[in-house]
Amino acid sequence: MNHNKIAFVLDGKVTEIGFRNSPYYPTTTLLQYLRSLPGHKGTKEGCNEGDCGACTVVIAEPDGSNKLKYNAFNSCLIFLPQIHGKYVITVENLGTPQNPHIIQKALVDRHGSQCGYCTPGIVMSAFALYKQCKTPGYEEILDALAGNLCRCTGYLPVIDAIKEACRFNGKDHFNAEEPEIIRMLKNIRNNTSKTIKIEKNECCYYILADIKQIWSILNNSKEHYTIVSGNTDTVLRVNKKHESLNRLIDISNVQQLKKIDIKKDYIIIGSAACIEDIKSAVKNIFPPFYNILKIFGSRQVRNQATLGGNVASASPIGDTLPVLMAYDAEVILQSQNHTREINIRNFITGYRTTQIKYDEIIAGIKIPKLPPEKIVTAYKISKRRDLDISTVNVAFCLELFQNNIVKQIELFYGGMSAWTKRAVNTEKFLTGKQWTRENVEQAMNFIEEDFTPISDARSGAPGRSIMAKNLLLKFWNDVKKCN
Amino acid sequence: MKNIPHESGIYHVTGTAVYVDDIPVDDNCLTGYVVYSSYSRAKIKSFDISRAINMPGIKKILSFVDIPGKNQMGPVFHDESVLAENDVFCIGQAIFLIAADNEENARKAAKEIHINFEELEPVLSIEQAMQKGELLQPQRRIECGDVEKALAASPHIIEGELVTGAQEHWYLETQASLCIPGEGNEMKVYSSTQNPSETLAIVAEILGIQKNDVEVVMRRIGGGFGGKETQANHAAAWAALLAYSARCPVKLRLRREDDQIITGKRHPFLIKYKAGFDNDGRISAIDFEQNCNGGYATDLTMAILERAMLHADNAYFVPNMRITGNAWKTNMVSNTAFRGFGGPQGMAGIETIIDRIAWYLKKDSADIRFINFYGLNDRNITPYGQIIENNRLYMLWERLLESSQYKERKKAVDNFNSENEFIKRGIALTPVKFGISFTTSFLNQAGALVNVYTDGSVLVNHGGTEMGQGLHTKIKQIAAKEFGIALENVKVNETNTSKVPNTPPTAASSGTDMNGMAVKNAIDKLKKRIASVIADEFNKEKKFTNQDALIFENNFIIDSKNRGKKILFSKAIPIVHLNRVSLSATGFYHTPGVHFNRTTGKGAPFYYYAFGMAVSEVEVDILTGYHRIIRADILHDTGQSINTAIDIGQIQGGFMQGVGWCTTEECKYDEKGNLLNFSPDTYKIPGVRDIPGQFNVNLLQGAPNPNTIHQSKAVGEPPFMLAFSVWLAMKYAVSAVGNHTIEPEWNIPMTNEKILLAIEKLTSNLK
Repeated sequence: MNHNKIAFVLDGKVTEIGFRNSPYYPTTTLLQYLRSLPGHKGTKEGCNEGDCGACTVVIAEPDGSNKLKYNAFNSCLIFLPQIHGKYVITVENLGTPQNPHIIQKALVDRHGSQCGYCTPGIVMSAFALYKQCKTPGYEEILDALAGNLCRCTGYLPVIDAIKEACRFNGKDHFNAEEPEIIRMLKNIRNNTSKTIKIEKNECCYYILADIKQIWSILNNSKEHYTIVSGNTDTVLRVNKKHESLNRLIDISNVQQLKKIDIKKDYIIIGSAACIEDIKSAVKNIFPPFYNILKIFGSRQVRNQATLGGNVASASPIGDTLPVLMAYDAEVILQSQNHTREINIRNFITGYRTTQIKYDEIIAGIKIPKLPPEKIVTAYKISKRRDLDISTVNVAFCLELFQNNIVKQIELFYGGMSAWTKRAVNTEKFLTGKQWTRENVEQAMNFIEEDFTPISDARSGAPGRSIMAKNLLLKFWNDVKKCN
Repeated sequence: MKNIPHESGIYHVTGTAVYVDDIPVDDNCLTGYVVYSSYSRAKIKSFDISRAINMPGIKKILSFVDIPGKNQMGPVFHDESVLAENDVFCIGQAIFLIAADNEENARKAAKEIHINFEELEPVLSIEQAMQKGELLQPQRRIECGDVEKALAASPHIIEGELVTGAQEHWYLETQASLCIPGEGNEMKVYSSTQNPSETLAIVAEILGIQKNDVEVVMRRIGGGFGGKETQANHAAAWAALLAYSARCPVKLRLRREDDQIITGKRHPFLIKYKAGFDNDGRISAIDFEQNCNGGYATDLTMAILERAMLHADNAYFVPNMRITGNAWKTNMVSNTAFRGFGGPQGMAGIETIIDRIAWYLKKDSADIRFINFYGLNDRNITPYGQIIENNRLYMLWERLLESSQYKERKKAVDNFNSENEFIKRGIALTPVKFGISFTTSFLNQAGALVNVYTDGSVLVNHGGTEMGQGLHTKIKQIAAKEFGIALENVKVNETNTSKVPNTPPTAASSGTDMNGMAVKNAIDKLKKRIASVIADEFNKEKKFTNQDALIFENNFIIDSKNRGKKILFSKAIPIVHLNRVSLSATGFYHTPGVHFNRTTGKGAPFYYYAFGMAVSEVEVDILTGYHRIIRADILHDTGQSINTAIDIGQIQGGFMQGVGWCTTEECKYDEKGNLLNFSPDTYKIPGVRDIPGQFNVNLLQGAPNPNTIHQSKAVGEPPFMLAFSVWLAMKYAVSAVGNHTIEPEWNIPMTNEKILLAIEKLTSNLK
């Protein structure tokens, strides 16, 4: 495979897109591409920003043991080059009106569709679950569907249908095809050069397979390159702000950056590891981190979004930032000849700005395991529990002396200022005091000295202040419950 | 047969169901794009499109001067322009239309259109409009008894205000239309519309052509909820103008954020009330002032306000009542139909009053509701003079109270609250009585065209639109039952104005009631013709058969007097054809007897009422404001349900949409009138985890509805308002923070932000 071309499997066949001689751009989304084909109109556009799931498709990749791993994605959040070397499955591939898939049939029989517009997306989320999880429980079904909005049904018949269908243990016509699909995918990868360069009009897009290739591009160019990894945020600059992104480096296929390395004293999470994988890995090691990841976007978003991306975007409401700060995590920055670690608390320097240099990338995040005397808790408040961005999100780290005196307390707040910040005055007030409700309630008054939040679509400033204060009391109450 | 799946279900799940954007078009189809105002109120001093028109890919740019017919698309009152002329009255008002080879080029050209605005002071709230005194249309009033006298004589009075917010429809499929010009003036319009006949009328008017040149086609829409009753006309009108001008097909589809900014929403209301009641909580009088934010043009506002006024009583008899309705004109999008059509806002007023009476008297709100219910034989006249017949409230009350164990659970809730400081629970029972019929009486008519083909298959056309509610499925069941043939032999066609003209919108929950009857009417005609021929056929063998004795069942036409004498339906039809008898018939129906006089505020606007009742239990985290519905029990009256699965689906979905309106769905605006929640990023409709932990929905058994199609009842809108049980259960939970000594402020929606603010206010009063 040479430049200006990508290949993937669609409709069970190897499909190539040559960008030079096609209407497609490297920043054309998978959704736009599918809808441009005559046979894939089932994939719907509901919002074009990953908030409704109507465009959900399943992308399968070999899992390393000669099986395919099926994951649901929002096709509106994926640039075409990101599907290079992968198997794309749409609703049409599951079954036909004459011969529907088990999931499809169950949804019909259980009255799981009304207007039908969200239905293909729901079918695909359910299909991914069907292939991943034998006899899923109620919670797992809800989790799989949290990224799919339906305005008609009230969801209950959809849940029932999936429960019903999953009794068949993932059996379907995809099982028999797997060896052949895996062979096709291997062929594509074997015939692909390490780096694919796609040039179309003013746009230049690199797909990297090895991170070493990035330095020659970064060091030899005067232009700013946008790194595409999870792409759940960058793609919105194209979909929503209608920017032309012309210099892109796609690291979403770089396996070195996807590793999650669990050591005795710490864990290193590759910057391109997806949130869903991290969620599973940290479940028992960092429960507060897990609790935040559980409600990070939706399943589709978590399958795609990366920790590196969440950290690099330095958003004032970045879901993972307070909790990473509470854990005192290090950001591992890598340039061609140098690797350095910066504490995440110093890494973010302002509103969406960081210490990262033009020739550096985030290689990973190192999270130390804390001594048991340090209590960490994280909370997120959003208007809706699932698939919503934080109104206020926090992580707190507390250490008490034997006599219930606060030895150290660190309070990290998102959504209260231009970037994630500590409640310095509140911390100062509490340090050295008894960890009592009276003192915590008094400390809550200092939150107003620490922050002057803004009013926006998510909440007014007074509401944010109440949330910020209350979460401290909630923390006190939860600590009390633990003891 | 009772709960057959949705007729399109198999197409939905396989991605083969076709929506407007899925219709194959050829390469010369252009993309339509609308350029709209970014000012709430401004004068257009001048504009320049000279640069934009020469941009790559641009085929047409139209302004109001290019409209061949009338620059008007108001559905009732003609106060809404297709394209702004010298003034813009809201953000989102269309000014220019662009036809381009693709959307990207259209967007680039739009940036090069230069408009010189003179910004003026906008009116951005009901309060501001009140100060200015500008109503869209004259005030309306409904009154009974002597309100002043009764209030003066009441032992207790409560007064207050209630604010209800806007709600975005958030149909999954945004507004879309594909227009294809034909010969001469012909225009074929594919539209995601709930109202094909009106879409047709608007397109004909703006193009200045006859209605017989326009054909509107819709197979299905990806959700409507009222949002495509009039608002679909806009996209169709814009696409038609471009197609007419460019002489080639044009497709116009709104992107989600544009759809949310441009289209009207559920009307926000400010309701002022004063209510008098006795020591038992029995209401003697209410004075309501309903103020709604109509936006900049009338649209359906007056009918919506009317329905709000007609539902100010909900399920309760109020002997002395005055409802004053004001539709205020503001510089915001013209608000429009949304499931319930003003009913939810109207009912929210009296449900607030009842809840406050209970709070005031320290009694269970369910008991206050019960003693105020409309009576079965007395206390059964509404403020507008209609007598309530077939009152189902007591049946529902009795059965639901038992199945939900309301009383026991209420005690458990109080116990829970006394033991928990930061998590509080609440439970509430609320009823719904919803009037069925368009209150604009002439709209209560429907048409059908039924064709029988020579193989015995049947094609049903009717004027209703399929938007997911299962109308076509029910119509299919009705037709199959009437003909006595299998479902597979009946197909319900796409809705097409050339087959069935002059139809009302599919709205007011009336789709099955009216179209079902019209279809039955056509089938009755056909059966008569078929029976006549077949009776003659049977009589050829010298046995006397009367055509009136022939019945249609189990795929046969049978002589009921001599059941051995029968012929397969599919065998009979070719005989009818050979006898040169028409196998195509139109059907028609109008709802009998409904009338309403807007001047006097009296009449019998509803053919019947639909009833429902719900008990919901919730939990509120008083530190985060999060709520969770622990359990909801709904018992709903659908008469003799035609399709129980579809009806239950309507109830579940309607209830959750109501929950959204009451809880997480919020429209905020900045000081210039820009909508802040213009995408699903910040506008949050209920997700899968927001449904009740236990969600029990049942249909009221043994209560057939006399004089409707197969004794069924309309179901689309009424369940929406059952969500008040959640809303008021949340209030009870929050009220428990102060041990019910201070009443929390309770409006719609109660987002977690609003809940926290209410608690803050409550606790500061406690101190």
